[in-house]
Amino acid sequence: MNEWINTYLLTIFVISIMFNIAISIYGIFLRPNYIKKIIALTIFSDSANVFAIYIGYRRWVDNINPRPPVLTTPSPEALSYFTQVAVDPLPQALVLTAIVIGLAVTLFLVFLGYQLYRNYKTLDMREIRRLRG
Amino acid sequence: MRHVINILSIIILLLGLSLLITFSGRYIIPGANIRDLAVFYLYTTFNPWLEKLTVNSPEAVTAIVWDYRGLDTLFETAVFYLALIAGLALARGSIFRAIISHGGHGLSLIVKTVTKITSPMIITVGAAIALHGHLTPGGGFQGGATTAVVPMILIVVFSIIFLLERGVSKENMLVLRSIGLIGIGITAIALYLFGIVVGSRAFVFQNMAKPLSNIAFPAHIRGILISGTLWFFNLFEFVAVAAGFTLAFMILIMAEERGETNE
Repeated sequence: MNEWINTYLLTIFVISIMFNIAISIYGIFLRPNYIKKIIALTIFSDSANVFAIYIGYRRWVDNINPRPPVLTTPSPEALSYFTQVAVDPLPQALVLTAIVIGLAVTLFLVFLGYQLYRNYKTLDMREIRRLRG
Repeated sequence: MRHVINILSIIILLLGLSLLITFSGRYIIPGANIRDLAVFYLYTTFNPWLEKLTVNSPEAVTAIVWDYRGLDTLFETAVFYLALIAGLALARGSIFRAIISHGGHGLSLIVKTVTKITSPMIITVGAAIALHGHLTPGGGFQGGATTAVVPMILIVVFSIIFLLERGVSKENMLVLRSIGLIGIGITAIALYLFGIVVGSRAFVFQNMAKPLSNIAFPAHIRGILISGTLWFFNLFEFVAVAAGFTLAFMILIMAEERGETNE
């Protein structure tokens, strides 16, 4: 029963991430407003990051609750137990890098949007597409 | 009609992605052979009995971010810096220094008082997250992002003039940001330079002693664990990120103000 509930909750989790990705793709491609495109892009990258952490999180530890990769008591026994139950720290470190880079890109896009508004007096991509040259 | 096709194609993309993961789950979700890598990181992150390989940091994520893959994080910081420079370049010509202060800016007295009380607390929490990055989940970037909330709140509650009058100007933030980045660079090559002076072999981005190099940063200072370079990296990253975010907020707010008062 416990196993079943865990699987059910994880399935809900994965489906909601997929749903998030779908909504953000809709926002990126189909919303005409530039700011809404940026918001959808951040939702998309966050969903991808959460998915990466999920892949690193599960799987290894059968029947033992996975622990965060922080060692609390320094002793050889604690260390060997720690290597068994702690989650993989590498996806978390990579996601941290991805978040910072994503933030830098978002910052650049926001400034670009500001410049767009200053030059074209609109943030509607349909209008901007019409104004060539 | 076009709308329906668009939505349909997104739904089909979603279903296809799910189908792909269902069928190739054992390829997308890594198998047990990749666990060896995680075991290596977890085993060496804090292991005083393995002197030549350990990082002496109980927090494995920070150890990976600033030691195992330190060069990666250096370039990531540089990318963030470049994005800020690009933003400054795009917003150039639209920044002016507001000098006039009538004292009547901002929200009501209650909000201002609460902000005055909570701002030091937020800065304290941010600094704690950053400086304990090698012990608890967190680090320089997280702490800096937490601290950067304070100038944002101050801009909303008081005004941009409140910050400018207290020396939090665009130029000062750029200087602080550069100090953080230079500090990260110097910490990265500190042990290498020390090795040249002493006449011993050392590597760039080296933290603890390695099998080929015997010199190391001190893991403890007066009995307190600082994990060698990790503490310094977190400190400088904290300064750099907090100043960088403040700079970005200030440019955006100032630029807006100019748009209103223009002509």
